[in-house]
Amino acid sequence: MPTAHSIQSIGSLTAFSESVLAYPIVLSIHLACIALFGGMILATDLRLLGVTFKSMTITEVVTSLRPWKRVGGTIMVAMGLLLAASKAETYAPNPFFWTKMIILGLIGVHALIFRPTVYSKTEELDRSPVVPAKAKFAAILSLVLWTTMFVMGRLIAYWD
Amino acid sequence: MLLQNAIGDALNNTEWAFALAECVHIGGFAVGIGSIALVDFRMLNLGLRHETAGRILRYTELWTVVALLFVIFSGVGLFLSQVDVYRVNLVFPIKMYVLAAALIYNFTVHRKVAKMENPPPLLSKLAATVSLLLWVSVVFGGIFTGFLV
Repeated sequence: MPTAHSIQSIGSLTAFSESVLAYPIVLSIHLACIALFGGMILATDLRLLGVTFKSMTITEVVTSLRPWKRVGGTIMVAMGLLLAASKAETYAPNPFFWTKMIILGLIGVHALIFRPTVYSKTEELDRSPVVPAKAKFAAILSLVLWTTMFVMGRLIAYWD
Repeated sequence: MLLQNAIGDALNNTEWAFALAECVHIGGFAVGIGSIALVDFRMLNLGLRHETAGRILRYTELWTVVALLFVIFSGVGLFLSQVDVYRVNLVFPIKMYVLAAALIYNFTVHRKVAKMENPPPLLSKLAATVSLLLWVSVVFGGIFTGFLV
């Protein structure tokens, strides 16, 4: 695939993927972000589902973790794209990689749909005696999407 | 012989078993470390400030313990599937020492400081920083075990 070859042949990317240290360091950062910020996604969704952190309002949980999820998500995606670009020729024909990218897109769609209706309306959710079904649906969908994303990421290594 | 063991054989001979064990291992540490990090972020005053660190700890500790058990059991399985590789790996023993330190620290010092009613802010921040550094080091150790062989 010529495009993939030209991407990974960009001088700095070749140097990166051939470096003994740089590649595993970036991969470690990618995984550390999954741990640190995955925990925050879990906390947000489980609070929406009413499973835990019930002494805090939904607003407190969602708004206090939001900036960190943004920082973590940005680092995680940036590191992930760097890893993929440096091995573009291996990734281009890999169906798990593309499934992962589609899931990433769906997570974007999830945000477009549920940010205005759920995640930015937390005060409304807190006033309601029970968490509305749409908020619970958003939380479950978020958990399913992120779990699939994670599993696809791991399976990329198993396709040959 | 350690090299010929049932768990290792099962992981090596079943196509999806190794991938599944890896997913459980990584997913487990994401939940385990992620739940510890929530306490750390509170101790650092970076999030969830409406609740005390002790309370956050109480909410998360079951998640942490269950997830870490999954990580350890799947990790033992992965180890048994390639004992000869891990035995000569230079990074693997370092990862194990850091992991032991992180586990002991988490359930002693870290827990104690998180549960203090009015901890000196500096102590709280120091305890949380050490915790984050230890756990992130374990993740780095895991990746480098796979790369520097």
